[in-house]
Amino acid sequence: MKNSCEKWNDQLLEAALAGTTAKDLEEHLKSCTKCSTELEQARARKTRLDELLPLVARGAEPGADFRARVLAAAVGEKERHRAARWRVWTLAGATAVVVTLLIVGLTLVRRNGPAVPVEELAAAQKLAEWRAPSDSLLATPGQEILKTTPKLGQSYLNVPVKTEE
Amino acid sequence: MIGACVSALIARAEADNPEAGFGERIAENQRRVFQIAYSVLGNAADAEDVAQEAFLRAYQKIALLREAEKFRAWVNRIVFRLALNRRRGHGRRLTRDTAWQMTETRTMVDGAKDAEQRVMLDRLRREIERLPEKLRNVLQLSLAEEMEAADVGAVLGIPEGTVRSRMHAARKLLLEAMK
Repeated sequence: MKNSCEKWNDQLLEAALAGTTAKDLEEHLKSCTKCSTELEQARARKTRLDELLPLVARGAEPGADFRARVLAAAVGEKERHRAARWRVWTLAGATAVVVTLLIVGLTLVRRNGPAVPVEELAAAQKLAEWRAPSDSLLATPGQEILKTTPKLGQSYLNVPVKTEE
Repeated sequence: MIGACVSALIARAEADNPEAGFGERIAENQRRVFQIAYSVLGNAADAEDVAQEAFLRAYQKIALLREAEKFRAWVNRIVFRLALNRRRGHGRRLTRDTAWQMTETRTMVDGAKDAEQRVMLDRLRREIERLPEKLRNVLQLSLAEEMEAADVGAVLGIPEGTVRSRMHAARKLLLEAMK
């Protein structure tokens, strides 16, 4: 193709694909043998392309046992799902039982309270009431006076002291 | 009359057990689904893997895909997406040219009859790989059987008119490239 014919390139391809030529291209083809040859070649390529394109995928087929394999895989998948679901439910059930038992046990223990032996209680009572022997020895007649505060001008000596005698 | 009764009974059985019709759905769609994967991957083993994966995903959603048309559209979309993902994964390990060569020496599943046609087909596949992604997607989907412009549009989420114009552009580029 001459350099000046390059502008016809797109139209030549369109003409080959559509099978019809535009008027201006037709006029050009009458006077240009190179473009006429180019169009013939493009048409031949188009025919070849039409033959080849369907072969890219359409001749391809899955294996004869494809359906059986997919079905087997689907069944396997279903079984796996079922097993997984059972595992989850079993685990959830076991957890629920353990938690329930723990709650019931704790409630019962709280309600009954710890069982303290009677001897221990008596011993604790005795300990609480115990006074040191020195408490009575340290008691003096002035103890009551010392608990009070004398007013202004008073003296501890003027405060009447209770004596048992 | 009897046919209608049988259809109603089948529909009822499928409603009770949605998995019952799954085998039938595979039989109806397997060829096309495999071809979509094959046109993207160019490798029969990978295409079977991807097609199986697509059907297994459909099986998990079988209750939602009871209608044949819904199933067909869904499985077309999912197999195309899975095939593209698989190709991207392959791209990290192999160049596409090497992958095609491996396919050619390992399995001869396509319809090429002789050596010359095989060479031409090989070249055509390489040229398809070089197309811009938008054009390539349309072309590869439309190469599978029973894939009309509406089906291709449904997979890619584009109108039928756009599918046709992209198809035309792809063919034009291939015509130029196959000189």
